[in-house]
Amino acid sequence: MPDTPTSTSAKVLSARPPLWRDAVVLKWVTQLFLLFIVLTSLWFLTSQAGDNLEARDIPSDFNFIERPVDIQLSEGIDTHPDSGGRALWVGMVNTIRISIVGIIFATMLGIMVGLARLSNNWLINRLGTMWVETLRNIPLLVQIIFYFSVLTVLPRLTLESGPINGWFHISNKGISMPRVFLADGFYQWLVVVLIGAVVGYYVHRHRTRLHNETGAITSPILWAFAVITLFAIVGIFIHPIFSWVGSIFGALASLFDSLTVLVPQIVLSGVALVGATTWVLRFIRKHRSAGGHLSLVDDDWFRIIFTIAVSVILVFVFISWEGLSSWILNSGRDLFQVIESKFNVDGAARPFDAMRPEIIQKGKFPNYGPSGLTMSVSFAAVFFGVVFYTSAFIGENVRGGILAVPKGQIEAARAVGLRQSQALRHVILPQAFRVILPPTGNQYLNLTKNTSLAIAVGYSDIVQVGTTVFNQTGKTLPVVGIWMLFYLSCSLTISVIVNWFNVRMQLVER
Amino acid sequence: MNENENTETPASDRDLSNAPDMIVCEGVSKWYGDFQALDEVSATIKEQEVVVVLGPSGSGKSTWIRCINRLEHHQEGRIEVDGIELTNDLRNIEKVRSEVGMVFQQFNLFPHLKVLDNVTLAPIWVRKKPKAEAEEQAAALLERVGIPEQADKYPGQLSGGQQQRVAIARALAMEPRIMLFDEPTSALDPEMIKEVLDVMKELALSGMTMMVVTHEVGFAKEVADRIIFMDDGQIVETGTPEIFFSNPTEDRTKLFLSQIL
Repeated sequence: MPDTPTSTSAKVLSARPPLWRDAVVLKWVTQLFLLFIVLTSLWFLTSQAGDNLEARDIPSDFNFIERPVDIQLSEGIDTHPDSGGRALWVGMVNTIRISIVGIIFATMLGIMVGLARLSNNWLINRLGTMWVETLRNIPLLVQIIFYFSVLTVLPRLTLESGPINGWFHISNKGISMPRVFLADGFYQWLVVVLIGAVVGYYVHRHRTRLHNETGAITSPILWAFAVITLFAIVGIFIHPIFSWVGSIFGALASLFDSLTVLVPQIVLSGVALVGATTWVLRFIRKHRSAGGHLSLVDDDWFRIIFTIAVSVILVFVFISWEGLSSWILNSGRDLFQVIESKFNVDGAARPFDAMRPEIIQKGKFPNYGPSGLTMSVSFAAVFFGVVFYTSAFIGENVRGGILAVPKGQIEAARAVGLRQSQALRHVILPQAFRVILPPTGNQYLNLTKNTSLAIAVGYSDIVQVGTTVFNQTGKTLPVVGIWMLFYLSCSLTISVIVNWFNVRMQLVER
Repeated sequence: MNENENTETPASDRDLSNAPDMIVCEGVSKWYGDFQALDEVSATIKEQEVVVVLGPSGSGKSTWIRCINRLEHHQEGRIEVDGIELTNDLRNIEKVRSEVGMVFQQFNLFPHLKVLDNVTLAPIWVRKKPKAEAEEQAAALLERVGIPEQADKYPGQLSGGQQQRVAIARALAMEPRIMLFDEPTSALDPEMIKEVLDVMKELALSGMTMMVVTHEVGFAKEVADRIIFMDDGQIVETGTPEIFFSNPTEDRTKLFLSQIL
């Protein structure tokens, strides 16, 4: 057979290249080589660090978590923690608390600042510019210390200034205001509100349908909120009529008490088997073509077999592990009993109660008592610091996001006859939000990390508590490790939430 | 382009002298700082009339057409649209905008809404139409512009020509009495221009009052009742396509035509 030129070149091109020119082989070799280097360096560094720590007698164990410590915290869920771990936990709660409150207020303030900078009103516009330029150009630490020093020159708190007749009290110990808390009637009131929520849901659906059918503006969300609010207000007066709800939970509790372990075993096994069967049947139906021909690849068979195997294993576990079933029964009974006891109150109990601030003296100096909602000077300094500082950056994000919506979009919205407010709601904000969200997520991360500056003014956040712990125990490295893990998990949580929104908001393009 | 034999009556042969006035401009002037964009522009456009505005870039064509639905403010003179004068009265502006549809060079579709929702947005929120009715109408309009199958896609998934046709459907959904076209084909690839021009031609034959800023001479010759030629913010010459293209009077018109033809 004569060898044509085309067949020769085809043969040459399709031939397997030598290994040093094969892109796939090269890629894998490089990856493996890099992995090897990274692992070796890590091993070298950790073993060196371990040896050196041991040689210099630096402790790196975590047993301080359970040992008692002598720490008194200025505020938190537990001001006299009995162990190092508990102290760090209080610090974490304080950090999370100031971060969440800070994020909420920084967002609200930031939106206002951003809109102010876009305003046509000269005065508002300049105020917004001044706010942004001042706050973002002064280091946050300086700002926090500034607020702290301003707040500490407020009048001293003495017993003479109490009992407090007013609603608010401000002194060098902080700001105290009335505290609202849940009272005995709360759960009965909650039943009324839940009924209101169900009614509100149907009202919302009805108003939406009305809008779709007649085209009238029916404000379904406003109506739903109004209905729930109405139920909540009426509930304050009529909630005792729902005291009988507790007996339902009482009956459920005694039902759970009377059951033998066999019942949950059968129910759980049944759920596992029925669930698996339904899934497999639906899977097969989905893969059956219109003509009834079933086409399954290896992967599909694997899924079916895997599902059946898991359900069989689950049934085996449910039957053989009696502890699980009795745990379900016991905790179910306990839960229902607790709920029943919540309804077991005198008819006149109020759903909420409020208490005014008070001044008490336990030690040497008077302080605000637990009856009021108190914002300590340290908390206020850190709070104002991070909120004002971050609001300047969020304001710029908001401004940039709105400016990023092309002018043609606004013109098109106006040209089809939408009013300014309608154009804002349906055209500008949905597009601006996509631009605003990612950098604002970064600002949330920054705010959370910036709360660590609380150590400068003595707010008991995780860094401040951790410093005290390692000063007393000498376990510097473990505490620093806990700090890093804590901030990492806070940041990752925020990132996950922001990314989830981000993915949902993305524009569909080719 | 579009020089095919058209058996239908050319639009320019219609007698519109008895039709009511739709757009009346009297001595409209506008300045951007020291630069005068419009200089004493006066013109009257009758109902069902199709007017094509020609002129070199920077001559004020777009500014003029954008003044007619108040995307730009004129500073002197008066503009009356269907008997409503455009002043600072917001109610008049809203009334005019809901009677005047506009199609832009860059389409300006709402990228976060599906094609169908782009078309139904204004009817639902401005005309307060029931959703089902608005969607039915939108489907019919998409059918009319030739893309009924794209209703559930997003604008970013469509070609330029398809996007511009959605934009025309979106403007038509408000059931306007006047349509303004601001260089509707200038941002399109050559092979997509025809599909948009065909839709516009169909619209002109259906009796819509239209004002079109364009460089498509073929479209102007075939569809226009009248050509208005602008330069330096002034109306230099107006006339029917036959006279305008074959026998212009002004030197500036002759120069312009010699450059584009």
